[in-house]
Amino acid sequence: MFNLLYKELRIAAHPNLFVFTALGMLVIVPAYPYGMVFLFGCLGPFITFMYGRETNDIYYTALLPVKKSDTVKSKIMLVVLAQMTQLLISLPFAFLRVRVIPEGNPAGIEANVAYYGFGFMIYAVFNFIFLTYFFKTAYKVGNAFLLAMIPASLGVMFMEVIVHFPQFRWLDSIESKMMIRQLPILIIGLLAYVIMMFATYRVSVKHFEQVDL
Amino acid sequence: MSVLSVIGLTKRYPNFNLQDINFSLSQGKIMGLIGKNGAGKSTTLKCILNMVHPDSGTIKMFGQDFKANEEKCKQEIGVVLGGIDFYKHKKISDITATTKRFYKNWDEAAYQKYLQTFSLIPEKRVKDLSSGMKVKYMITLALSHNAKLLILDEPTSGLDPVSRDDLLGLFRQLVVDGERSILFSTHITSDLEKIADDITYIKDGNLLKSAKKAAFIESFQHLKEPGETGELSLEDIMIRTERSRYDV
Repeated sequence: MFNLLYKELRIAAHPNLFVFTALGMLVIVPAYPYGMVFLFGCLGPFITFMYGRETNDIYYTALLPVKKSDTVKSKIMLVVLAQMTQLLISLPFAFLRVRVIPEGNPAGIEANVAYYGFGFMIYAVFNFIFLTYFFKTAYKVGNAFLLAMIPASLGVMFMEVIVHFPQFRWLDSIESKMMIRQLPILIIGLLAYVIMMFATYRVSVKHFEQVDL
Repeated sequence: MSVLSVIGLTKRYPNFNLQDINFSLSQGKIMGLIGKNGAGKSTTLKCILNMVHPDSGTIKMFGQDFKANEEKCKQEIGVVLGGIDFYKHKKISDITATTKRFYKNWDEAAYQKYLQTFSLIPEKRVKDLSSGMKVKYMITLALSHNAKLLILDEPTSGLDPVSRDDLLGLFRQLVVDGERSILFSTHITSDLEKIADDITYIKDGNLLKSAKKAAFIESFQHLKEPGETGELSLEDIMIRTERSRYDV
């Protein structure tokens, strides 16, 4: 399994995936819709999958002495690795921002506990639709992305807009008390991500087993 | 001993059927799989490799069921899919560094030797290799993990006559010690005239004949036209079998 992940990182991933993963640091920008970070986290895998189609990555993998389900597993692990690394990279910048620029982000939600909770949910939905649809054919990347981007974008818009309503201001807060109140969102998001990734794997494997390359 | 047996292979598509394909490749031999474009050669090879799911049929490789022992069997084979380049912007050295991790029998010394023999430069990118060099690189990878069976889909298509002859000579050399076997699909029948031991001919998804080269050619001599004296070549056989007339 480690070998397949090595393959993904060394020859299969498009360099752009690394750039978009690094964009987690955007949460230090003074006025910016931080939801864009998640959209970059969806764009990165899309570009890598497009690149994979161009480089015949699936054919190369199919000829290796590995199980067909491992091909799916390695792709899913790459996506999870990129998204989790991106969130991890964003964390120090989120902390730093509060110290360096204490005035809030006028453009939308702060990089707070709720933000990360929403992020996990957005990624969970995007990944499930994108990956399970992609593995139906192993080449229709564009359709898969388009379908998955609709709920992901709506999710980001919802997150960015809701914090402007007075009754949901607490979602925009970076005060400790408010962030504790936001904690259930993070927990639900994290759980949703884990459960959805397992479901994504199972459904994608089922789809990919039927594909004639 | 048979290294590869294809038994009753059938694959149905909406507009094309591969019907009941049967053949067997012996150790140390080269088998040519012939047929015109679209006859079902690549589909047959992909079915053998489980890349395409056959509707029925069995593939036995090295005496075991391929589907049940796919990972194990793939350790022992090398595949060249004609016209499919992998990671064309990557360097040979990067692709090798990745590929070798998957093979238990990877022999680094052999790899270095083949690189030198074929004048492959590790720093070159796949897109900068000529078609012949790409095939040689894929063969280098196969030989470096000690593949016993090479499955080559149209490896000589698109090559100039010199490169083709060069590769054919190499294929012949590879089976000399009787350890390796080659299954080789092509529509360039003159290639097989030079190197194949056995010929399997697929026409419109059906197996026309699979036999030793001499017996194969012999069995098609009824296609000779009145007055013809010499033996028909594989090309003559194929053209006369496939010839179509258009009512225009």
